[in-house]
Amino acid sequence: MSKVSARVFCVALCALSAFSIAAPQPVSPTRVPGLDQVKSTTLANGLKVIVWTDRDIPNVALYNWVRVGSRNEVPGITGLAHFFEHMMFNGTAKRAPGEFDRLMEAQGGSNNAFTSDNVTVYQDWIPRSALDLVFDLEADRLANLSFDPKVVESERGVVYSERRLRTEDSNEGFLAEQVQATAFVAHPYQFPTVGWPADIQGWKIEDLQKFYKTNYAPNNCTLILVGDLSAEEGFALAKKYLEPIPRQEPPPPVRTTEPEQLGEKRVYVEREAQTPLLNVAYKSPAANDPQGPAINLLMTILTEGNSSRLHRLLVEERKIAIDVSGYFAEGFDPGLTWLSLTLPEGADVAEVERTLDGALATVVAQGVTDAELVRAKNLYASTFWKQIATINGKANLLGTFEVFEGDYQRMFDSPATYEKVTREEVQKAAARVFQKNRRTVGILTSPPEKPAASAAPAAEVKP
Amino acid sequence: MKRLLCLAGALVACLSLSVSALGADAAGVKVPAHQRFALPNGLTIILVPQRDVPLIAFSGFVRGGTLADPAGKPGVASLVAGLLDRGAGARDAYQFADAVEGVGGSFAAAAGAESISVSGQFLARDRQLMIELLADALIRPRLDATEFDAYRDREIEFIKSAKDSDPSQIVGIYGRAALFGSHPYGRPQGGSETSLAAITLQDVQAFHAANFGADNAALVFAGDLDAKWMKTALTQAFAKWGRAAAPVRDLQPAPRITERRVLIVDSPGSVQTYFWLGNVGVDRRYSGRPALDLVNTLYGGRFTSILNTELRIKSGLSYGASSRFTRGSVPGEFAIRSFTQTDNTGKALDLALETLENLKRGALEPAMLESSRAYVLGQYPLQLETAAHWAATLADLEFYKLGKDYIEGYGPALAKVDLAETAAVTADAFPRPTALVIVLIGDAAKIRETAKKYGPVTEMKLSDPVFAPAK
Repeated sequence: MSKVSARVFCVALCALSAFSIAAPQPVSPTRVPGLDQVKSTTLANGLKVIVWTDRDIPNVALYNWVRVGSRNEVPGITGLAHFFEHMMFNGTAKRAPGEFDRLMEAQGGSNNAFTSDNVTVYQDWIPRSALDLVFDLEADRLANLSFDPKVVESERGVVYSERRLRTEDSNEGFLAEQVQATAFVAHPYQFPTVGWPADIQGWKIEDLQKFYKTNYAPNNCTLILVGDLSAEEGFALAKKYLEPIPRQEPPPPVRTTEPEQLGEKRVYVEREAQTPLLNVAYKSPAANDPQGPAINLLMTILTEGNSSRLHRLLVEERKIAIDVSGYFAEGFDPGLTWLSLTLPEGADVAEVERTLDGALATVVAQGVTDAELVRAKNLYASTFWKQIATINGKANLLGTFEVFEGDYQRMFDSPATYEKVTREEVQKAAARVFQKNRRTVGILTSPPEKPAASAAPAAEVKP
Repeated sequence: MKRLLCLAGALVACLSLSVSALGADAAGVKVPAHQRFALPNGLTIILVPQRDVPLIAFSGFVRGGTLADPAGKPGVASLVAGLLDRGAGARDAYQFADAVEGVGGSFAAAAGAESISVSGQFLARDRQLMIELLADALIRPRLDATEFDAYRDREIEFIKSAKDSDPSQIVGIYGRAALFGSHPYGRPQGGSETSLAAITLQDVQAFHAANFGADNAALVFAGDLDAKWMKTALTQAFAKWGRAAAPVRDLQPAPRITERRVLIVDSPGSVQTYFWLGNVGVDRRYSGRPALDLVNTLYGGRFTSILNTELRIKSGLSYGASSRFTRGSVPGEFAIRSFTQTDNTGKALDLALETLENLKRGALEPAMLESSRAYVLGQYPLQLETAAHWAATLADLEFYKLGKDYIEGYGPALAKVDLAETAAVTADAFPRPTALVIVLIGDAAKIRETAKKYGPVTEMKLSDPVFAPAK
C-alpha cells in the first residue's frame, strides 16, 4: 500500500512536579472495541461487503477497494490504472460525464479516490440521507461505464497536469520515480503510478475498455461502509444495487516476480536544486509477511519524530540533513523500504551516505533499545486510536486489513500484535532489510557548474 | 495520486467552521457540554469531556503571532513556536521529544498571522505528563543559543527545499506579500531566507517575554478526561504563569486594491505556471458568512465548482482550481489558485478571470443554491467528529470571541439564505476581475509576454531569498 485505557484516578497531585515522570510504559494491549459492531457478507457475485455501525455523526464513509493498481500494467499503458480512476467519474451509459459528482454533491456528499501500485480506492463521504443515491451511482459506474472520446482527451490533460505538479516540477517526486524505476528490472512496481509521459499521451479508448472489463469485476472489489447505518441496511442496499452486476473472470494474477538483486544500484539525477536529495530504497517483503510489524516498528524507531534515531543523528547532532523520513511500502508483492533525506545546500552527499550506512550497520549489529521499542509501540497505538476516532479512519483501516492481510478482523488484533514484537525480532528485520546489495541509491544534485567561458579548456571547444 | 488536490478546506478558513443542522439530521450540530473558567492570572481554560477513544486532545493559542514580529523581521514568531519544545523546563530538546514520543504523544506549535497555536494528543493515561510538558513549553522554554542556531538554519534550508519541490504550496506566500504589502498579513509567517538569517536569539527571547503570558492565552482540552481532575492539575501547573509584558497591538484592516497588477516569480525550466489571484476579502465576523460560504462553495470550494469545472473538468487545463476566503480579525484574502502547463498560462488565466466576471455579473440558479446548501450541511458533521476537532473549534471560538451560536446557529442560518443574500455577498466580498494581484510562479522567459496582458508586471526570481521583489 502506498502513501499512507482506562482512566485511573490519580490521588497524588504532588506527583505533578517536573521530575515525576517515570520511563514510558507500554500501552496495555487492551482489545480494540467495536468488533461486535462490524458485520460482513459476500454477495452472490463475489463482492464482499463490510459494515461498521457508528452513529456518532449522521454520516457514512463508503470505501470501494478495487484490487488493481499500477502493478497490473504493462509497458505502453503505464499509468492506466490511475487514469482509469479518473475516468470512473466521467460518465456511464445512463449518466453524462460530471453527473456523478453533480448528483452526489447536490445531496450533500463529497468523494475522492486514489490509486497506488497495488489498489484503486474510491471514497464517498455522505450524509446518511444520500445512501440510496450513492449506491445507485456506485453500481452504475461499476456496471455501465462509458468512454466519451472528448472527455478522454480532456482528462488526459488533467492527469498530465498532475504529473507535472508532482513529478516534473518537484525534485522529490522526480527522484523517487527514478529510484523506483531503477530498483525493479522485471516486476511492474517499476512503473510510476501516474504513468510515463509517452504513455499518458498514448493510451487509447480500447485500452480503457479492456482494462475495465478485466479488472472492475465485483468479485475483485471490497466494499466498506462505516457510519450511521445498520449492517442489515448496508447489505440490503448492496443486494439491491450491486448484486445484479455479474461476476466476471477475475483478472489474471501478476506473474512476474522480481529476480534476486545481487548488487547495489545507483541512479544520479542532475536538476537545478538548492537542497540535494538522497534516497535509499531496500528490497523488502510483501505486506502480509510475518515480519511486517517488526519492519514497521523498525522504521518508526529510525525515522518517526524528533527523538527517532536517524533524525537525532543526521539532523540534530551531525546537522548533515534537514529532514529524514522513511517507510515500509507494503504491497501484495515484495517491494521497497524507503529512506528519504533532504540535505542542506552544499552538503557532502558521500559523507551523509557514509554516516547513514554506519547508523544502519549499528542497528543490524546491535539492535534497538527497550526504550526505543516501547516508544515505537506507543506511537503505533496512538496513531491507531486517532485513526479509529473517525468513520473515515475506520473505513480506511478495515479495508487495508481486509485487502492486504486477508481479514478485516486482524485490525482489531493489531495493537496487540505490535505489542508482542520483541527487540530480537526488530533486529532480525533490520538484518533482513538493510542489505547493501539489495538496495538502490538515488542522488539528486544540481548539474556541475559550467566553467566560465574564458576558463574553458580548449579540448571542450567543439568543431 | 488523489483525484482532488486540496479543495477540502476551501470552504472556509483554516479552522473550517461551516455547519449542519438540517440536511441529514434536523437536530443539528451541538457544541458538546464543556466547562470554561479562568485562573486568577487570566489564563482561560476549557474542558470538554468526550469519551470515544482513550485520547485527550489539546488546542490552544497565545495571542501575537506574525502580527507581533518586530519590524522588518518576519519569522520571529515562527521561530519561537518551533523552539517551544526544543528544550523546556528540566528537559533539553531531545529529552522533551523523547518524553512526548516515548508515550506515543504529539506536540505541535505554529505561528499564524495573529497567534501562536499549540496542539497535540496524548493517551488519556498520560494526562499528567501532557500537562507538565505543555506548561514547560509555554512558560519555561529554554530558547537556548545552540538550538536556536540549528533550528533557524534548518528553517532557511526548508524554504529552499520547498522551492525545489513544491511551488504550488508557496505561491500564496508571494500572493499575500504582494497584496498586503507592509500590513502584518503580508508578512511571510515562516519568515524568508533573508529575514530568518537576520533574527537573533535576543529577538526570540524578547518575543516570548512580551507575548507569552497567561492573560494572553487559552487552552482547550477535549476527550477522555475527568474535568475535576483536569481542573486541579491545570490550576497547579499554570497558576504561576505571569502576565504578558506587552499588550497585543491593534490590527487595522488593509485596503482592497482597485486595479490589477502582476508579479512573475521566475522558475527557469518549470513546466507549469502556478498562479494565485487575490484581493482583500472579509473578516471573521462578516455578517454575510452563511451566504458567502454557499457562494464560494459554488465558485471554488468543491469538485464541481465553477472554477474547477472550467479549468479542469471541461478543458483539462489543470489538475485543480479552487478559491477560498481567509478570515481573520480583519479581512484576510480571497484567493483563486490553480496551475497549468506553461504554454497554456494565458488560456487558464483568461478562463479564471472569465468565471469571476460571470459570477459578479450573473445571478445564481435556485438549483445551484440548493445544491450548495445541501453540500455544506452534509459535510459539516465530518468536520466536528472527534475530540481533536472540538478542541480546535472551541479554541478558535475563544480566539475570535465568538459564541457557540457561531456553530449551532450556522445550520439554521444556512437554511435561510436566499438569492438576494447571495447576490449581496457576491457583489460585496468577491473582487472584480479587474482588481486583483496576480502571482505567477513559472518560466519567465516563456510567460513574460502573456503576463503583460493582465497588468503592470514586476519580476523576481524563485531563488531570491525573499518573498517580495526589491523595491
